[in-house]
Amino acid sequence: MRDSRRARLILAMLLLTAFTLITLDYRSGGGGPLRSIGNAVFGPVERAATAVARPIGSFFASLGHLSSYKSDNNRLKAQNQRLLEQLRLTDADRAHLAAAEKLLNLAGRAQFRIVAARVIAYGSSLGFESTATIDVGSQDGITSNQTVINGDGLVGKTLDVGPSTSTILLGNDPEFTAGARLAGPTQSIGHVDGGGRNPITFTLLGTQAKLAVGDRLVTFASIHDRPFVPEVPIGHIVRVEPTPGQLFSSGVVAPYVDYSSVDVVGVVVGVPRTIKRDSLLPASPTPSPSTTPASPSGSGSPSPSASISPSPGRRSSPTPSGSP
Amino acid sequence: MRRSLLTVAVVLTALLLQAAVVNRLQLPGTGPDLLVLVVVAFGLAAGPTYGVVLGFFAGLAADVLPPADHSLGRLALALAVVGYLAGLVEDVEERSVLTTVAVVAIASGAAVVLYAGVGGLVGDHRITASAVAHSLASTVIYDVVLAPFVVPLLAVAVRRTEPAA
Repeated sequence: MRDSRRARLILAMLLLTAFTLITLDYRSGGGGPLRSIGNAVFGPVERAATAVARPIGSFFASLGHLSSYKSDNNRLKAQNQRLLEQLRLTDADRAHLAAAEKLLNLAGRAQFRIVAARVIAYGSSLGFESTATIDVGSQDGITSNQTVINGDGLVGKTLDVGPSTSTILLGNDPEFTAGARLAGPTQSIGHVDGGGRNPITFTLLGTQAKLAVGDRLVTFASIHDRPFVPEVPIGHIVRVEPTPGQLFSSGVVAPYVDYSSVDVVGVVVGVPRTIKRDSLLPASPTPSPSTTPASPSGSGSPSPSASISPSPGRRSSPTPSGSP
Repeated sequence: MRRSLLTVAVVLTALLLQAAVVNRLQLPGTGPDLLVLVVVAFGLAAGPTYGVVLGFFAGLAADVLPPADHSLGRLALALAVVGYLAGLVEDVEERSVLTTVAVVAIASGAAVVLYAGVGGLVGDHRITASAVAHSLASTVIYDVVLAPFVVPLLAVAVRRTEPAA
């Protein structure tokens, strides 16, 4: 074992350093200066990396179609190939557009002022965390502890905010907790907790109220709407847990948002003074299928398909305040 | 010098690939951890001293790379130990593919256990028995599958940049 004495010494020193860092960070409650530096430095790098990585998916999807051009009409085939390629890219654009449209629809009905964003990286940390980086930051008016939504409902909340990127905590992370209210006449309140590998649960506060399968949940406003604004759809109850001897009843929640594939999101930066109760929920317990988008006039290039996403440049937030 | 450049480039690539591509793929389980693989590969090729230093700084970078949300230093600690352990196997004569795979399996497991263990000490709510078991199985299996491709490739690269000694 070559120079193992020296290696052991360095190992001991670095372990000590790591423990010191962990203790310091734990004491300061996280979000220290190093983390801000990380956000400021790595955020733009991640953003650039994602700009490169996003088309890779469509590239791999098209690899299987690269046929040989050795036949007589190879010119036609090549042209056909190009058109297919365009079609595939337009598919990605169309999905993006549909998601953005759904988001604007929800925000418009609620009269939320939102800053639209896209997810540029997902967190994992060996599979324990469910976080994401989005491509807007303090330059766009984002601060920590703001509600993040998409067209289906509640996505999560912002954590650390860098100049041009922010970290968000997704609703299925074990650290995630939000106040929630049952839709309908009972108005009972409780809290929703992300479960990590386990399902999301809702715990009802108050011993009088009853929980039933199919009950729909919306967010209950936090103090000064931080971190959560009211009335954002969360999900519906799919199972009521038997809780003998427990004071509060609880149930398993099927969220409206698919946390593993969030892409287009909006950070809520302003709320109207009043929102009509339960006005944002999908009609049935099951989320309604997305409406088909208007046919996009997308060309072949993978350019951002609408003026909605502020991803490349710093544009002001879309403020759908004209709609009802 | 050339080796340091190579190391920085490989670590950065692994970090960004993990955050921007791998975590996006929605693989069953938790998916592979590329950084553990990189640290093991460098440890195996360059020895315990190099492994421990690289592991520490690569882990620290992963600790601050958004969207990480845990106490700084946890991955640094875990990967420093992983780099050291892999480095100990550096000069085993005639290392077979099987040895490499075994080292990757043990190192990936050690990374998860250390990361989760320290998390338990500082009261991380994300660390539950089922989450640890899940992450352990998933990380070890994915990394073992990727090891025969990644480790020899990086070993060649490290040998090419060998300091004249």
